[in-house]
Formats: sequence, structure tokens, C-alpha cells
Amino acid sequence: MNTLSDRTAVFAEGLRAAQGELVACRSWDDVWKHAVSLSAERPAVSPAAYEYLKQGDLPDVNDPLRSIADRAIGITQAQLAIAETGSVLLIEPAPIDRAVSLLTKHLIVAISEQDIVDELADGFGWLAQQPQAAAYATFVTGPSRTADIERSLTIGVQGPSRMTVAVLA
Amino acid sequence: MSASTAPFKVRYQRSVGDPDLKPRLLAFQRSWRESRDAQVRRLEQRTEQSFHELRRDFAAVKDSTLERIDDYIAEFRANAEAAGATVVELSTAEEAVSYIAAICQSRGIDLVVKSKSMVSEEIELNHELEQQGITAIETDLGEWLLQLAEERPSHLVMPAIHQKRQYVAEILGEELGREFDPDDIPAMVASARDGLRRHYLSAGAGLTGANALIAETGSIMVVTNEGNMRLATSLPEVHFVTAGIEKLIPTWADAERQLQLLPRSATAQTLSTYTTCITGAQPGKEMHIILLDNGRRAMRETDTIGDALRCIRCGACANVCPPYQIVGGHTFGHIYTGAIGLVNTTFHHGVDHAAGPQGLCVSCGACQTVCPVDIPLPMQILEVRQRAHESGHAPLWERIALRLWAKPRLFHHLMGLAAAGSGIGRLVGLVRRDHLRLPLPRRLRWRSVPALPLRSGQTLVKSRPPLQPLTETPSAGRTVELFAQCLADRLLPTAVDSAAKLIEAGGASINLPDSQHCCGLPAFDAGDWDTARRMAKHTIETLEGSEHQIVTPAPSCVISMQDHWPCLFQDDPEWRSRAAAVSRRVHDLADWLEGPGRLPDGCLSNGDSHAWTAHRFCQASNRNDARARIDQLVERLTGETARPLEEPDVCCGFGGLTSLAAPEVGSGILERKLACVAESGCDTLITNNPGCVIHLRAGANASGARHHTLHYADFLAARLPKNP
Repeated sequence: MNTLSDRTAVFAEGLRAAQGELVACRSWDDVWKHAVSLSAERPAVSPAAYEYLKQGDLPDVNDPLRSIADRAIGITQAQLAIAETGSVLLIEPAPIDRAVSLLTKHLIVAISEQDIVDELADGFGWLAQQPQAAAYATFVTGPSRTADIERSLTIGVQGPSRMTVAVLA
Repeated sequence: MSASTAPFKVRYQRSVGDPDLKPRLLAFQRSWRESRDAQVRRLEQRTEQSFHELRRDFAAVKDSTLERIDDYIAEFRANAEAAGATVVELSTAEEAVSYIAAICQSRGIDLVVKSKSMVSEEIELNHELEQQGITAIETDLGEWLLQLAEERPSHLVMPAIHQKRQYVAEILGEELGREFDPDDIPAMVASARDGLRRHYLSAGAGLTGANALIAETGSIMVVTNEGNMRLATSLPEVHFVTAGIEKLIPTWADAERQLQLLPRSATAQTLSTYTTCITGAQPGKEMHIILLDNGRRAMRETDTIGDALRCIRCGACANVCPPYQIVGGHTFGHIYTGAIGLVNTTFHHGVDHAAGPQGLCVSCGACQTVCPVDIPLPMQILEVRQRAHESGHAPLWERIALRLWAKPRLFHHLMGLAAAGSGIGRLVGLVRRDHLRLPLPRRLRWRSVPALPLRSGQTLVKSRPPLQPLTETPSAGRTVELFAQCLADRLLPTAVDSAAKLIEAGGASINLPDSQHCCGLPAFDAGDWDTARRMAKHTIETLEGSEHQIVTPAPSCVISMQDHWPCLFQDDPEWRSRAAAVSRRVHDLADWLEGPGRLPDGCLSNGDSHAWTAHRFCQASNRNDARARIDQLVERLTGETARPLEEPDVCCGFGGLTSLAAPEVGSGILERKLACVAESGCDTLITNNPGCVIHLRAGANASGARHHTLHYADFLAARLPKNP
């Protein structure tokens, strides 16, 4: 295990408060090993993560969401992470980019430790600096949830019911 | 007719007849308060700015955007359209519905999946589309449950908070054709995932609202928790966005500012699970952004109401609202709920729909204290109340009562009669513990009717020699005009006399201006501003004869003079300045005892040690008056420590005429207060506004509670050395 920097520690705390989990990884290989240790089912992998992993199942371009719906494990990659809130920023212009983060049951989001920024303002600063506004940007803070029935917090509704952020040293 | 669309009176009766609603909403309000306060404290620490500074800064962003709304709409439109979206500006609900229906029809779309959108509720989109053969399915769990039950949201962010899990199990069972265990909430949630999945896959369009519209890039920002919004915008070919024009903000940096305040105020989350920003249509797909006016520009043009357009729909105003806790959002609102719903309903749906709900507001002012954009909701609700009054919505008994109240001599005679009647009641054994034993109708039995003392407060003061000064204060040798307050003078005369004694103890002498009566508060509070003006003018004429400082034991009158008089005379410069000249001289007694008539620490310590606690007059406390913390003054002067009281600043349920017009609201809030008092284990409850004293005392009498209720002036004056 790596020793996490202060900023990463703050991020871990925010993520934990949002019912997310953190795992420290040395490489993408570690991310993959972690994913396959969780379930016997083959992980679904977003195009962004596939660039690094070169393995796992990519969603079908023509029917991306249906092709990986309810897959046990999904792996994607975040642009940034926000220490203050425990969030990751996903840039997902096309449905195929979103399929993995929307419909898998346990989402693993990989992020380089150096891409963890202090505050939400830094994340918005990054978005504001893009020469062209991101078509579909989402700050994800933990697994999907609802408290709509008698305010009882229930994790996992339309989105993933577990979320792990894999921090790459 | 469903529970939420019935006429107001029916909704009111249903909600006060629901035994589960009050305790559930009370638990919700208390847990929200605790977690929201913790979030705000952390935010203040991190930003090194106070909540007040943070909200002021973001409110300024909203205000300056609204001032140039057409420029920002133009900028937003240009950028969104450059990114492939279509932006339409529509004036009315009908236009918005027709636009959406026409697009659906021309694309052959008969199913729309919806993420939560209050604007679509505002225009009653689902119902209207249904008429045209288009089915709209809500995919937010709470909204879906409402749709299945044919109900409206009862809260801005927790739309189904009124539904019990047993009821949820029932409606889900009916929809999905299988049985649900009401105690297995995760199973019910999971069924929503399964039940809704097929709709996403077959819908031709997805519809969302927007928490913000970012002008500099033409982007929309949507804050959600369930993930349904991301699905609704990813699968269908057409994406509709329905948003009010007030959602515009200039930049991404402003969006971040909004996010500092929104999730913390809404669900007490640091950030909601999904904050999604979408710019333009996705390749090969359509995006239609509908910018709706529907009364918003009219709001902006209305002086006191314009600021309501800052609203970011967090629902915090409902979460601290005592009447909301009693009746819930189906009654405390129309389609928009909570304090903001009482205000904007007038403009989106008409004053007739606002009239009933606004009448439940007790004017405690709690809503504004937590509003993340500092909307002056309490004053706006009174403005709406005035409109309701002018449109003939005030009950006849209320109008007659205020007319009588407005005539000082008639009022005086009626009170004299009531005092004489009370005297006879005492003789014939109809009075117990200072309250009349009357055969009240069931609805009114929760509060006894006080027996009027024979002598008024002013008589008590005049019929005794002045007190020897206890100490030298800056006020020594000065004359103070005592404004008794009409209510205290007759119903709580000892408090008036005690106030006079405490002023005299500081070395000042008392003058009681002749013919003083009422500042106009009851009429202002009831929306009858004409009568309020008459009463205010009478008081101004009574008090403007001298240059002396004026002191009253009633902080409500101070608020009336300082905050309400400027509204009453906004179009009358002469009276406005005469009113200001008087209100500048007015002090609340507590203010006086800490200021010009400051009595020294411990000077009223007499070795007694009571188990006492203090209820702080909510309006003063929520207005942030330092002197509302009456426990501190009493502790300082007596050296006796107050026992802690839970929710010391939450309203006691008096609320002026509201507790008569909506007795269940008054009694429900009183019950909450008396439970806290009982919990404190005190035998003495002190408070600072005569109305609260009378109400709390009468409520304690009716419920059989054993503690004594006192105005703090009485508590303190009892410790003054007796005159030789």
C-alpha cells in the first residue's frame, strides 16, 4: 500500500462520507487485479479506461447501455478528483462513454493521485478553462442513492450500488 | 380527487386529521437541522466566511443576473445553439406544454421519461400531455410514487415525504403486481430500478429540469442522487429541458458558488451524488431548452417579491417552518411548497391558490434564517397576505375583529366589559388558575381563555408611587415614555408595571402617553393594511409629542414600528418620516436594560434559585436581534443560570390571528414547544413577548402543565427590593 498524501487523505474521508470506497493502486494492472478479485463476471470497461487496460468488455457502440446493463463490475477513468467533496469528475461525451458508469452494479473509477485537486472550485476552474465546454461532465460523489421512502437512505437506485475509487500512485 | 389537488379546506382537514404526519415531519425537521448545521459549520470553517457572507455573495450574483436577464438569456441562447441545442423562450404554461407536445407528435414520440423538474410540475405537464395521447413517466423514485398515487409533491426536494412506507408498499404492489413488505425499503427501491428500466429503453424523449443555466457556455447543470437523470438524458433521442428564466447564472464559477449552498441546504450533503453539466445536443440527437416566464417577469417587477427569483429550490424554508411541520406541503403550498411556495404561487398559479396556504404562516421568520440566498420570505408572505385580503379572502370574523380593535375607545370599553365579566366569573367559580372555564368547541379546547384582570397595566403604574432608583444608570433623571402594548395592558398588566419598575430602578421616571393603543401589528399581520395604517397613525400621533425615548415590554411592537411602518407608508413621504421619527426612539425593554437603563450584574440576585428556562420570541430571535437572547439578560441580572431548553427560538404557535384561524396549527406548534419545556424539567418558563406569555400560559392551563409562565419583566421585578 502507498502512503497517501494529505490531499488524498482528505479525498478518502470525503469519499467515505459519501459511502464510497478507496483502494490504492500502483498501476493499472493493480486496478484490473482488484476488479477481477471482486467478481467472477468479466468487468465492463469504458473507452477511457480501455486505453490503459487493453482488456475487459467495451460496451457495444450501437447499443452501449443495454450491452453492459447490470454487469457486476465496471471500470472507468476520471479526469479529476475533488478532495473537499470526495468526488470524481467524469467526462463522458457519448452514451458509450457513460454506459459503464451508469449501469454497472459496482463501479471502479481510476484516478492518478496527481489529478486530485483541493476543492470543487478547482474542478469547475478546469471545466471553465476548456476551449470547448465539455458536452457531458459529471461530478460523481459515491454510489447512487435515494431517501425518498420515509427518508431512509438506500444505496443503489438507477446507478451503481457500490463505488470504489482506485487511486494510482 | 387526490389528497393534493382538492380544495384548500379539504386538504387542511385531511392533513390535520393524519396522526402520522406531524411526528414524521418533526423527526425530519430535527434531523435535517442537525446535519445541515454541521455542514454549514464545516463550510464556514473551510471558506473562512460566514453563512451570511456566502449567501449574500451568491444572492448578489443572482440579483445582478436578474437585472440584465435578457442579456444573459441572449448569451445563453447563442452558446447553447452553437452547441446544437434549440432554445425557446415561452411566456405561459400553455405555450410550454404545446411546444413539448408538438415536438413529440412530429417525431412520433408517445413516451417521455422524466427526471425531477419542478417547472414541469408548475405547468402540470404530465396531465396535459396525457390529454394529447403522450405518456410521461417520472423516474425519480419519489416523483414516480407520487405519479402512481396521483399526487403532487409535498416538498421541493423530498417530494414524497408525506407517504408512509405501508402506503408505498401498497401503491408499488398495485403497479407491479406483487406484494411488498413495508419494512423492506431496499426491496421497494430495487423494484423501482426494475420497474422503470423498460421505460428508459422505449422512451422517445427524456425530460429534465435544470438547477442552473450557465450563460457563458450555454450549459445546463442538474443535481441529482439516484442516477435517473443521467439515464433519461443518455438513452432517448430527444432531450427536453424545462427551466424558469431565473435559473440563469453567468459563469461556471457561479455554478460552483451555487453548489456550495445548494446540496448543503437541500439534503445536508456536501455534494449530491451526481452533478451533471450538459452542453448542447449530443451528436445525432436533439436538445430543446424551454425557458419559461409564467409570471416570473411580473415577480421581478414587484418590489418586495422580486428577490424570490433568487430561489434555488433547496426546500430549506420548509425544513424549519413550524406550520409546515404540522400540515405538510400539500396544505402548506399549492404546487410549490414551503415558504417560497406561499410567495411564488401567487405569480405562477394565482392569488386564489395562494390564499389558503399563506394564511397558515405564523410569521416567525425562521425561513429566512436558513435561506441560502437570503430571500426576505417573511415580508413577502405578508405582501401576499395583503393581496389575499384585498381579493376578499379574509374571513368575516377577522375583518370585524380588526375593525373593533382599530377603535381605541371601543376597544377600551369592550376590554372593560371583559374584565368585569371575568370578575363576575371569579365570584361564581368560573375561573381556575386565572383562566375561564368555558364550554369551548372541541377545536379550541387546547388553549384556555384568560380571565382579564380588573386593572390595566397603565392603571397599575399610575396607582403606585414611583420606585426608588436602585442604581445610577445613564438614564438617571430622564423621562421615559412607556408604550404598554394593547395586549399586555389588558391581558398581562403586571408585565407593564414590572417594565415600569425596572426602568425606574435605573433612575428614569415613567410617563404614560395618553390614549396610546395599538401599533397596527395585528391588522398588518392579517393583511389588512388600511386598518393597520389607521392604527399606526394613531400611535404615531400619540407618541410624537415628545423627544423622550420610548420603551415597551413588547418586542413585537418594536418590530412592527421598525419593519412594518416603512411598508405601510411607502407611498406617503410625510407619514413615512413621521413614523421613522417615532420608531427611532423606540426600545425593547431588554434593549433598554442593556443600554441606557443598564442595570448592573447581579443586582437582582436575591438568593433564590429557580429551575427556570427561557423561550425566545421567535420573530426577534430570527431577525437576529441580540436582545432576543433573553436568558442572557436574566442570567446577568439575577446570577441564576437558565436550564437548557431545546429549540428555544422555534415559534410557540401564537402567530397572532393564525392560531385562531387555523387552531390545529397553533395547537400543534404549541404542543412541540410544551414538550420541550416539559423535557427541561423547569417549573418556570420565561419569555419576552406578551403575546407568547399569554398564549403559552393559556396552553399550559388547558393541558394541565404545572410550570409557571412569566414575562421576564415580572420575573426580574419580583427580585427588586421592596419600597420602604
